[in-house]
Amino acid sequence: METPREITFLQAAAVLISTIIGVGVLSLPVIAVKAVDTGAPLLTFIGTMIALFSLGILAALGKRFPRKSIIHYSEDILGVWIGRVGSVAIIFFFAVLSALTAREFGEVVVTAVLRNTPLEVTVIVMLALAAISCRNDLSTFSYIHLFYLPFILAPGLLIVALSLQNAELINLQPIAPVHKGHWFYGSLTIAALFQGSFIVTMIIPSMRHPARTSIACVLAIIVSGGLYLLIVIASVAIFGAEETKMLIWPTLELARMTSLPANVLERLDILFLAVWVTAVFTTLFSTYYFTIHSLSNLLRLRDHKMFSLFLLPIVFVLAMVPQNVMDTYRFILTIGLYGLIITIGYPAVLLIIAILRKKREDQHDREHAQKTP
Amino acid sequence: MIGNTHKKHLNIVLILALLLPFLTGCWDRTEIETRANILGIAIDVSEDNQQMHESEVNHMTGIFPEPNKKLIQITAQIAVPGRIPLGPESGSNGSQKPVWLVSTVGHTLDDAILNLQQEIADRLFFGHLRVIIVSNEVARKGLGDLNDYLRRNPEVRRTAWMIISNGRASKVMESSPQLERIPTLYLSAMMENAVSLGKFPRAFLGLFWSASSKLGQEPFLPVVEVKRHENTEISGMAYFQGDRMVGVLQPLEIGFYMAVMGIKQGGYSAFTPVPGQPGSVLVRSRSRDAQIDAVLDHGQPKIKLFIHVEADIVEKTKNTRSLNQPGLLKDISAEVSDRGKNTIKNILAMTQKNGSDIFGFGEHVRAKLPDYWNTHIKTKENWRKKFKELDVEINFTTTIRRVGMRLG
Repeated sequence: METPREITFLQAAAVLISTIIGVGVLSLPVIAVKAVDTGAPLLTFIGTMIALFSLGILAALGKRFPRKSIIHYSEDILGVWIGRVGSVAIIFFFAVLSALTAREFGEVVVTAVLRNTPLEVTVIVMLALAAISCRNDLSTFSYIHLFYLPFILAPGLLIVALSLQNAELINLQPIAPVHKGHWFYGSLTIAALFQGSFIVTMIIPSMRHPARTSIACVLAIIVSGGLYLLIVIASVAIFGAEETKMLIWPTLELARMTSLPANVLERLDILFLAVWVTAVFTTLFSTYYFTIHSLSNLLRLRDHKMFSLFLLPIVFVLAMVPQNVMDTYRFILTIGLYGLIITIGYPAVLLIIAILRKKREDQHDREHAQKTP
Repeated sequence: MIGNTHKKHLNIVLILALLLPFLTGCWDRTEIETRANILGIAIDVSEDNQQMHESEVNHMTGIFPEPNKKLIQITAQIAVPGRIPLGPESGSNGSQKPVWLVSTVGHTLDDAILNLQQEIADRLFFGHLRVIIVSNEVARKGLGDLNDYLRRNPEVRRTAWMIISNGRASKVMESSPQLERIPTLYLSAMMENAVSLGKFPRAFLGLFWSASSKLGQEPFLPVVEVKRHENTEISGMAYFQGDRMVGVLQPLEIGFYMAVMGIKQGGYSAFTPVPGQPGSVLVRSRSRDAQIDAVLDHGQPKIKLFIHVEADIVEKTKNTRSLNQPGLLKDISAEVSDRGKNTIKNILAMTQKNGSDIFGFGEHVRAKLPDYWNTHIKTKENWRKKFKELDVEINFTTTIRRVGMRLG
């Protein structure tokens, strides 16, 4: 089970950033504003901190087991069978997450852009794209992420910067309306948008220097959380809290009312959607890859390629479960929230038990690894 | 060996099969000449004497009941493919009109648009919709239903302009100004220029929607009127309560409204009598600056306005004595400030009477006095009531810097 250690620290950060930034950016402001009105930027910050905390847990686990993925070390910590139950839950959750990502993507495309194209077609095209790309190994996987990263970040920042000409500071005040809203629930919902970062558990065993995982995590959270924060600030400052609540995809709306100076491009939504398709693809690519990679880890298979197409129909059917757009969002929010049990709760339990049982990767194993580079 | 060639063939077939999807077209393909680009819509209350028969396109007696009895009339300006001039005009086909005006009726905006679609061969497309003109009469009844449709339609841009017309909206749509071949483009250019000339605050559709959603603010829209030479004049500013128009500001009042809002680009001028002398001078605002403070005064919110206008003198009537006297410009400034303050007081009294906080003072209270807001106001309705008795302190200063090229 020795995987080549060739993922660099920067690649790991890139994978995390482009996995986190995904389909959720479109509805992020409305989720945050619905919870706490003008406190949305602060809430996003808190959610980001929760995500950082959860990544901290995963990094600590990764430090204890630098050569194993969560699928393997959970068996060491909890015992084989309980560990396997946990792994099955993780795999299933990520299959659902992939399905919902594809579905949300489809809903946006059918509503706003390609109104005659059937939803099934957009969803299946996206899933097929991910499935085909998943036939690569982890090192190519991280190269693809690193390659797309600037294309996701730069236009996102450009749109935020340009749209700010319509911003009104008064819309952002009061910054902390503490006595109202659902701060706890809201911050967890925001943290749920960072769940894709769980794939760090898959990357650590292939990292060149597993010890640098935590720096990669912090960098990833700063960049992705920073972009999230900017998007929330921009849409609240421009639309105001009340108007944001009425928009199903505030970020898309932001791009629609922003134009490049001197009318080079009258609407930036086409540019934005192109970026966003890339962002969705990288997210879907990660979650799908994680699903099949973990599945093959669980079954002790050498290669995960066979699952890439095998899983496609299952994920597709899962994506078709919600009956309408409102349903889709209810699913996404609920599943995202419960998913936190898997992506934060479960690793926390693992870490605590690992510390209590003094479980580390076998000393002998480590020496062995050092001898044979 | 044979197996290998077979494999090769199979690979080629597979690769060709993979290429197959590239041959398909786009599902949502529409050729530019087969879609009817709507550039502008005018919305009026349907005239009763106009014997327009409405077919049962979106409703059917007894089964799908009509939402309301009142009919609205829409007049759409559709771009005729191939006749929109690109680049400099050649002048050869000047007789052909680049747009086609069609009009129909309906119970709601979408009802009317679907009726229109029933009458027109090509698919209606709203991606280039620039101007929506709504008649005064419709606006006074409320724009809620119109805006609901416009908000839901993904083709409509938030940067389109919504304009209120004095009189029938279709008349504005029918006017054909000489400066631009396409009337709606002229209208939208006119509004954009008005913003850059300091004649009107930014007020496109998206801002109107934001303001009408805000808890402590009411929206406003420009009012236009068709003049003699088929030109249109920005004749005022309609202010709303929610989505219902409740009153109009005069053009010069727009200038003072913009002063309160601290919109930098000055543009309006006002005849000001010279203190202690016959005649008056035309003072033109160059830039405006304002600060709005919300404070609690004996448990009640109070707004403190600090307005400063930088101005020039552009004209002097009746050969009054020279302006080159020590202290005279200061006196004129004080006069302008005084009169400005009174104008703002009038605007305030009027909007307070109608419960329409176009200044967004409520937003300042919500933002800066959150404790007060959360215990006493909370909702938009409460703020409307509170606004009627709001205490506003106005501090207005003017500085006249220049007098043009003439000395004295």
